[in-house]
This record gives sequence, C-alpha cells and structure tokens, in this order.
Amino acid sequence: MDLEDDTTILTTLKSFNSFISRPEHPQRLSEHSAGSGILQSQYKRSMELLEAAERVHSKNRYLQLDQEKKQMELSHKRARFELEKAASDSARDLEHEVDRNQELLGQIKKLEERAEEANKKLTEQKEANDALQMNLEGLNKTLEERDDKLGAANQTISSLKDEIRELRQKIQNQDSKISGQTLENQELQEKLDLQQRKYQEVSQLCQSLQAAQSSCSEHIIKIKELERRLAFQEQDFAIVKTIKSEAARVPDLEKELKRLKDDNAYLRESRENCSLLKEEVEGLRKKLERMEKTKEELINMELEKERLTEKLHAWENLGQSTGLNIRKPEDLSREVIQIQQREIALKEQNYTLNSRVRSVERSQSELRAELTQQRSKTLEEQKKREAQDALVRRLQKRVLLLTKERDGMRAILESYDTELAPTEYSPQLSKRLREAEDILQKTQSHNAEMEAQLTKAQEETGTLKLQLQTAELELESLKKQQASATDSNSLLTKEEVTILRQKIEDLERERQRLEEQNNILEMRLERHNLQGDYDPVKTRVLHLKVNPTAIAKQERQQEVEALREEVTRLRDLVRSLQSGGAVGHSQDDTHNPSFSLSLAPSKEVLDLRKQMESSELRNQRLKEVFQRKIQEFRTVCYVLTGYQIDITTENQYRLTSVYAEHMDDSLLFKKGSNGSMQLMETEFSKTLGEMVALHLHHQKSIPAFLSAVTLDLFSRQTTV
Amino acid sequence: MTSTLKGITLKGSAELVAEFFSFGINSILYQRGIYPPETFTRVTHYDMSLQLTTDLKLKNYLTNVVSQLKEWLFECTVQKLVLVITCLETNEVLERWQFDIECDKSAKESSAPREKSIKTIQDEIRSVIRQITATVTFLPLLETPCAFDLLVYTDKDLVVPDKWEESGPQTIDQSEEVRLRSFTTSIHKVNSMVAYKKTESV
Repeated sequence: MDLEDDTTILTTLKSFNSFISRPEHPQRLSEHSAGSGILQSQYKRSMELLEAAERVHSKNRYLQLDQEKKQMELSHKRARFELEKAASDSARDLEHEVDRNQELLGQIKKLEERAEEANKKLTEQKEANDALQMNLEGLNKTLEERDDKLGAANQTISSLKDEIRELRQKIQNQDSKISGQTLENQELQEKLDLQQRKYQEVSQLCQSLQAAQSSCSEHIIKIKELERRLAFQEQDFAIVKTIKSEAARVPDLEKELKRLKDDNAYLRESRENCSLLKEEVEGLRKKLERMEKTKEELINMELEKERLTEKLHAWENLGQSTGLNIRKPEDLSREVIQIQQREIALKEQNYTLNSRVRSVERSQSELRAELTQQRSKTLEEQKKREAQDALVRRLQKRVLLLTKERDGMRAILESYDTELAPTEYSPQLSKRLREAEDILQKTQSHNAEMEAQLTKAQEETGTLKLQLQTAELELESLKKQQASATDSNSLLTKEEVTILRQKIEDLERERQRLEEQNNILEMRLERHNLQGDYDPVKTRVLHLKVNPTAIAKQERQQEVEALREEVTRLRDLVRSLQSGGAVGHSQDDTHNPSFSLSLAPSKEVLDLRKQMESSELRNQRLKEVFQRKIQEFRTVCYVLTGYQIDITTENQYRLTSVYAEHMDDSLLFKKGSNGSMQLMETEFSKTLGEMVALHLHHQKSIPAFLSAVTLDLFSRQTTV
Repeated sequence: MTSTLKGITLKGSAELVAEFFSFGINSILYQRGIYPPETFTRVTHYDMSLQLTTDLKLKNYLTNVVSQLKEWLFECTVQKLVLVITCLETNEVLERWQFDIECDKSAKESSAPREKSIKTIQDEIRSVIRQITATVTFLPLLETPCAFDLLVYTDKDLVVPDKWEESGPQTIDQSEEVRLRSFTTSIHKVNSMVAYKKTESV
C-alpha cells in the first residue's frame, strides 16, 4: 500500500490512519491503569466509530463523485478521440472544440481544486477532532461544525455535480453538433475523395462488383448445377442404374478392352499375315498346278526320254555306224547347235533359195512364156524347115530335073556339036551352060544357107530344153527348202508362246502387287477421311463467313490491341514518373489526369498513416491511464474493504484479508451462472464454520460474512 | 413427314437429319463447355432431356446453318458436317466432330416414301446423342478458352451461297479418332465420329 501518494483520498486515509493509530496506545494504557476511564473510553470509541462512519460515508460519496467525474473525463476523452478521428479536414472546428474542451477541463480542474479545498477543510476538521479528543465538548462542537461544513461540502459537491451535469449536457450537445459536422465533413470528404480518386474507386468498385458478380454467378451456377443434377438424377435414374452396373463392370471391361486391343493388334497382324499367306497360297497353288503340269510333262518327258534314249542308242549306233563322234549330250548339243546353226544357215539359204525360187519361178514363168514362144517359134521354124525341106526337095528335084535337063541339053548340045560344027554355035552353047551353072551354084548356096539356118534353130531348141531342165531342178530344190522352212517356223512359234506365257505371269504378279498397294492406299484414304481430309476435285468445304470462331478471334485481337495500347500508355506514364514530376507536368494535358490520380493515393496514405500513428499513441496513453486507474481502484478497494480481490480463473475471485494471519489464508468465491456468488471451500474457510453457518446459510449475506471475518481477524490481531 | 408412321420421304428425311444436327451441336457445345451452362435451357425431345442454347447470337447462327443444311440435304449435295473446336490462344484445332452424310441420290428421282418408321429413326438418333454425352468421359479437358466453327463438305458443282465461303478442312495434327454410332433414315445415313488431339501425357 503506497501512502506516499499525494492524492486526496490517500491523504485522507493517512490522516485516518494517524487518527486510528494515535489513540491505540492511550486506550491500552487506560485499560491497564483503571476501569474508571472505561465509560469515557467507550463513549469516545463510539463517537470515533460514528465519526469514522460519517467520514467513510462522505468519502464514499466523494469517491462516487470522483468516479463520475472520471467517467466524464473518460467520456470526454472518448469524444475527443472521435472528434479527432472524424474531423481531420475540419481541423479548425475540431481545434475550436478542443479549446473549449480544454476550457472545460480547466473548469473541472478548478472544481478539483475546490474539492481539494474541501478536503483541506476536512483535514482541519480532523485536526479539530484531534482537539476533540483532548476535549469532548470541544469535540462535539467541532463535530457539529464539521457536520455543518460537511453539509456545506455536500452541497458544494451537489452543486458541482449539477455543474458537471450541465457540462456533460453541453458536451453532449457539442458531441451531437460535432457528429453532425463530422457527418457533413465525411460527406464532403467522400465527395472530395470521389472527385479525387475517381479512377481508383471505379476500379475498386469494378473489382468488388466483379467479385460480387462472380460470387453471384458462382452461386447461380451452383444452384443451376444442383437443379440440373437433381433433374438428371430424377430423369436418368434408370440410366444411372444401368451405368452403375456398367461401371461395376468397367474394370473388367477395361481389362477386356485391353485384351481386345491386344487381340485386335494381333488379329490385324494376323490379317496381314493371312493376306500374305493367301497370296502365298495362291502362288503355291499356281506353282502346284504348274508343278502338276510339269509332272505330267515330266512323265511325258520320261516316256520321251525312254524313246529318246532308244533313239539315242539308235543315234549312237548310228553315230558309231556313221562315224560321228556322238558320245555325250554335249556332243549332241554341240552337234545340235551345229545342226541348228547349219539349219539356220540352211534356213537362210532356204530363204535365199525361196526368194531365188520365187525369182526363178518368176523367171521360169517368163521362160515358160518364152518357151512357148520359142516352141511356137520352133514349130514355125520346123514348119519353115519342113517347108524349106520341101523346098529343098523340090529344089533338089528341080536340080535333078535341071541336071537332067542340063544333061539332056548337053546331050542335045553335044549332038548339036557333033552334028554342027563346034565352031559356029559353041559360044552360044557355052554361054548358056555357064548361065545354067551359075544358077545351080546359086541354088546350092541358098540350100546351104537354109541348112545352116535349120541347124541353128535346132541348137536353139536344145539350149532352151536345157534351160528348162535346170529350171525344173531348181524348182524342186526350192520346194524342198520350203518344206524345211515350215518345220523351223513351228519351232519358232513354240518359243514365242513360252515367252508370252512368261510375260502373262509377270503381268499377273504385277497386278497382284498393285492390288495390294491399292488396298493399302484405300485404307490410308479411309484414315485420312476420318481425319477430315477430302478430295478437292469432288468436294469443297464451306462455312459461314460470320462464325463464332471468327468473332471470338476478332474480339480477342481487339482486346489484345486495347491492352497493348494501355500497356504503352502506362509505360509512358511510368517513364514520365521516373523522369520526374516536372517533366510529367510539362507533357501533354492528356497525361495529367492520370498523373494526378497516381499521386493522390500517396497523399492519402500519408494522412492515413498519420491518423493511425495518432490513434495508436492515444491507445497507448489510454492503456496507461486505465492501468493506473485500475491499480488505484484495486488499492482503494483493498484499503477500504480490507480485502485484496484477485481473479484467479474465469468467474473465480480470491479474497485475501488485510488482517490475515498467514499469507495463504484466503477465501474463494465463484460467480454462478445467474450472477450469485458462492463460497468455495479452502483451508481457511474450513476454520470459519460458525460464521459460514450464521451469515451465509442463515442470513444469506456475503458482505456481513466478510465484515464478520474482518472483525474477527482484526480482533485477533489487536488482542494479541 | 407426310405419312407419320408408314414411311419417310426425302423432305422428311432432310428435316429429321437437320433437326438431329441442331440438337447434336447444341449438346456438344453444352457438354464441352464452349458456352457457359447457364446460357442453356432444358427441353425434352426424342424422349430425353436436351440442352438448348438461349444465347441469341448463337441461336441465329445455328438456325442459319441448319436451314441452309436442310436445303442441301434435300438436294443431296452435302457430304459432311464438321464441328471444329479451336483453341483461341494458340489457334490450334483441338476437336473435330465429324458427321459423314451418305445420301441416297436415287431418292431424288423417285418420290416414293421409304419404309422406315420415324420412331425407329428417332431411337437411333437418341442413342447417337447419348453417345455424344458419354464421350465427355474420355475426351481431354478443354483448359483454355475455345470457340467452335461448323464446316460443311459439299459437292464441287454446288453454287456457293452468299454469306458462305470456302474454308480449309481444319484437320488436327496428331489426332486420335473414335467412331460413334450411326443412324439412317434409309435416305440419309449419318456416321458420326470424333477426332481429338492426343495429349502429351499418354
């Protein structure tokens, strides 16, 4: 307990203490010394008690007033806080109000001073009381005086109270005024803020709106979703069931699906293999057919071979017999090749001969024609010859005749000669003779000529006959050649057929290959078709010019452009801000609004920071004040009631008496749910069974119990 | 749809197929999340609940395409309808929903209705749409914002109408294809399939 403090209450307390402590000693002395002073001392004591009670009462009243005052102060301060907080811009008004408040505070201080004066008077009264102890009558008088003074003090206190009430009313009025002003101020400030921070507020509002909208839409979506789900559940209940059953089968199905996929892949492979195998089978079948054919051929060949071996033997024999050295097939083949070559040569010869035959035939026909001509000629010649022969015979006959004539003539002549003399007619006769001889010679030469002609014609016919014979020979040979030529021709066609067959097989193979390729390409085409490919020759793809994708893309582009513009604008702004406010101001007017907007928040932030600091400071101060006051209150409680009250846990109060014999002696009270206090059992309370029974159980008064305990403890302390 | 139960004509077939495309495209857009689900509304068709868009622009576009498609179906000049889903960030084609249409061109000459009831056709269509819904389970998630386009493969001799233009096939590089069910009206046969980009993780 700190009694050094210079407050009014404590000084009073001090004086009281001194008052109490002073008579203690004399009382004891008087008790010890004589019983005559008992009555007086009792009276004194009662008076003291009375006085003390009155004093306590007055003190209590004073304390009450003081508390009220404090409360007023507190409320006043609170009002001040509100004022300060609210009216930052209307600072002048606020300061005015604060000044007024300070004045009021000064008045309050004056009142406090007056209270102190009253207290001083009280001390004087106490001094008078001290004097009263020396003199009872004087004491009574002073008591009365003091009572009067106390009444006066009470009156002054009540008057002070009234004043305080008035002040409070005033303060309330001012509060209401201030609140009105603050409201106005707030409105003004809001307007001002609206003007100043339009952009920011708008954006904030937008954000909040968006948030609200999004939340709203989310809720709506949720609601709709739930409705939809409900509907789905109702409507598709059957489907759900089936799906459930299906879902139960899903893993199996998945497994099966996997298996089937594998199977599918396997089957696909096997299908490819199958097609390959089919092709192979086809090829093999064909091969088989060919093989069968070849087999048959083989049999035939074998038969032929037998025959041929026989033939070969025959040939060999023949070869042996003929002297050709045919021992081996090579020889044979060589021979054959030779023969073939020979044949080819012969063929060539044949061809040439054929041509020659043709030419010969032609010439033959010509010759035949000639022959017929010649024949006719010869016939003519023969006829001529015959005619000439006849002529010759006739001529010979004539010659004979002529010779006979001549002879006859000669004979005649000779006879004539002989008859006539040779000299007269001889020259005539010789002349005639000579003439006849000439004619004869002429005919003879003509005859010889004719004979020469005949032999000539005969020779000619002979040569022609020879020619004919040679021509016939040639014809025959040609005929032979032709026959051989036809034989070789048949061999050639066979070769050609085999070549053609091979070609057909090749083509067949090619066709199969192409078919496979075609299949593959068709499959690919199908796949492409699935992927959305199309044949540009047959198909065209159309869509509406105004389609959602185009619109969405356009919108997106516009948005991007707008954002880009904004970015460039903001970038400029940032640059201008970086380069300094002066530059920013000197720039275009279009930049200025945004510039001021960007500056506004910082100012406000500073204001807010200041406000926050001041409010924190106030808070700190308030805390300190509260702490001090609470400490004071607790001290006062302790001093006045004699109990130190501690709160141990929630709703539990521990009371430790000032007169406790031990430090641990304490009483525990618990606050019930209905507000009633209950005494808890402690070591100390166990020793107070009687008092508990009397005051708590019987009288049901906790204060009485506490005071009884106090009195008991006090008496114990004092008696010792 | 002249005789409702006995058979089907070319006109009726074209209308049925066009209707199928309308619903099919809507359900693909819904299932793949190309448009937000709240812009769809539920209707009952083919004895099942289907999602139809309420987005006006999209509705307009779809009716434009489907009406033109109906005309072409009637002329038997359309070969394919492809729904292409493109990533907007990379302009890469992520999915292709291809509907091959096989037209029986002999139906153009003879106007005699075919003997296939509309109910059986609708049953087939329903199973195709069911399958489209089920494909969401194996298709990769579309993580980026996407847009779609509709391509129509037509015969080369066709006159390109106004508002339409030629386009590329928009194929997917390294795709995986899945064949879906098909249905036939006995005049038009529609084979559906989906091709999607292979993901790197597989």
